[in-house]
Amino acid sequence: MSKDIDKLFKDKFKESKTTAPTEAWPVIQAKLKMRRINRLIYTFSVLGFLGLISFMLFSTQTEKTLSKPLQKNTSLKNEVILKGKGVNDVNDVNDVNDVNDVNVNKDKLPVSKPQEDSKKLYATITTEKESKNNMPLEKNSFFEEKFKDTVIEKQVKRIDSLVNSLDHLVDHLKDDLKKEKKKLIKKKDSIDVVNFNKEKRRRWNVIPVFGISNSGRLSDNVTTLGTTRAVTYPDKYFDDNKSSGLIASTYGFNVVFRATNRISIQTGIFSKELRFLTEGLFLSEFIPDVNPTNIIYNPGVEVRFSNTPDIVSSESVSLSQSIVYMEMPFELKYRMFGSSKFNTNLIGGFSFLYLNKNEIRAKSNLLSREIGKASNVLTTSTTLNIGLDVEYHLSNRWVLNSAVMYKKHYNTYEDYNNEYSPYNVGMHVGIGYKF
Amino acid sequence: MVIFKDIKKFKHKGSFEGWAKRVTVNVALQKFRKKSSIRFDDLEESKIPEEKVFIDIEEKDISLNFLLSLIHKLPPQYQLIFNLYVLDEYSHKEISEILDISIGTSKSNLSRARQLLKKEINTMKKLQL
Repeated sequence: MSKDIDKLFKDKFKESKTTAPTEAWPVIQAKLKMRRINRLIYTFSVLGFLGLISFMLFSTQTEKTLSKPLQKNTSLKNEVILKGKGVNDVNDVNDVNDVNDVNVNKDKLPVSKPQEDSKKLYATITTEKESKNNMPLEKNSFFEEKFKDTVIEKQVKRIDSLVNSLDHLVDHLKDDLKKEKKKLIKKKDSIDVVNFNKEKRRRWNVIPVFGISNSGRLSDNVTTLGTTRAVTYPDKYFDDNKSSGLIASTYGFNVVFRATNRISIQTGIFSKELRFLTEGLFLSEFIPDVNPTNIIYNPGVEVRFSNTPDIVSSESVSLSQSIVYMEMPFELKYRMFGSSKFNTNLIGGFSFLYLNKNEIRAKSNLLSREIGKASNVLTTSTTLNIGLDVEYHLSNRWVLNSAVMYKKHYNTYEDYNNEYSPYNVGMHVGIGYKF
Repeated sequence: MVIFKDIKKFKHKGSFEGWAKRVTVNVALQKFRKKSSIRFDDLEESKIPEEKVFIDIEEKDISLNFLLSLIHKLPPQYQLIFNLYVLDEYSHKEISEILDISIGTSKSNLSRARQLLKKEINTMKKLQL
């Protein structure tokens, strides 16, 4: 039986052809439709997300443009400063150069606070294109700018975190160094104690001292019975005259006993002088009605003084008063800081004063003559002493000593209370011998 | 594989079955075009034999695998046109457009394919006898 060869092939293939169930195709098509819907949802989600990101970036850009209008044209020469030179060695900083067209001067990195630094950093980074061509940023495409902004912000954040890390590291180092310092101070104290114990045989120190001091008053004027007048020396009669303290010398010796590693006790004997000058007086040929009551004239002294020029004579003179005390201080010295060679001590204490010399001299251009003494100066008085003492140990035996002292006098005059007592500020130096 | 890969391109116009068939054919044609060595036999219209080729054989005596092996043994140009015309039921005009050949070429190559197949089937028949 003859057969068409085309039909032969068609029939044979149809026999072996397995067709999918008719229900399969609608199911596949339905699934594909669902897939299409899902794809649409996904597409819209992505578009929405991109829109949101673009909006946020645009908002940030607008805000930055408003807040930093002048910094857009900052040239490449502006610097990014990070804390510490060691930062240059950190690889993360090099990542800044990963941004195309962006250069950051890594050699100078900031010292200031991280948040301010990031702003500063942002302000100082500009595009290379901008700096080279001096073209405004607006000419670049919007998304290119956004991309650059994002990348730069990432770099800024990275540098911020790096700076924070370095700050933490520095803080830790500071803490460690402080602890180490405390340990060393303790160790040094212990060494000092050991040395102190070794030097127990040399706890005494005698220091011959020479110095100068200037005397002054704490108050210029005093009001008594409704009238204001200057507190003067040597007599109330000269209250209205100008008076001032003069520089005077001090000498003597200190004896220091080193009680502990830090505390010493010192005493001694000094000759201490207070000098005051009262000016604007005139010699008088006549005995005035009111004489200075606090001057005890020496025998044979006939001269008298007046506050106003005389009719016959108008020669101006001044009265120089010298009060010399023998001073015996009792002071404590506290060693604040120093080394085996150098020490600084705080001094506090008091002194007993015994009047040794009381003299008033009249001085003019022609004469200088002792005329008597003040009768209102008390024989004994005290001072309150505060000062700073510096010691330099020249050798195991010898020490150079220098001190600045402030001394407030009490019970100096009979007539005035302590409020108007004098004070003196002095400085003395001396070379002491330890034994 | 191509169908699964390009399923996103299915526009839901028409049935999925038809789309899948078109994809299959197109992939086959792409492969065919890559084989630039294939040359179709051009015959004059007058020399093209009549379309129908008959063979004396019982359908039950011949298997599908044998027929497939016969098709695979055909030269590529005959094989391609035979498949398109007989199995995929494209017309000569469509084949000529797809393969960018003339209708006559399509017809002549199909005729040669049929003759070769007939010859092979007859040979097989004689061997069985």
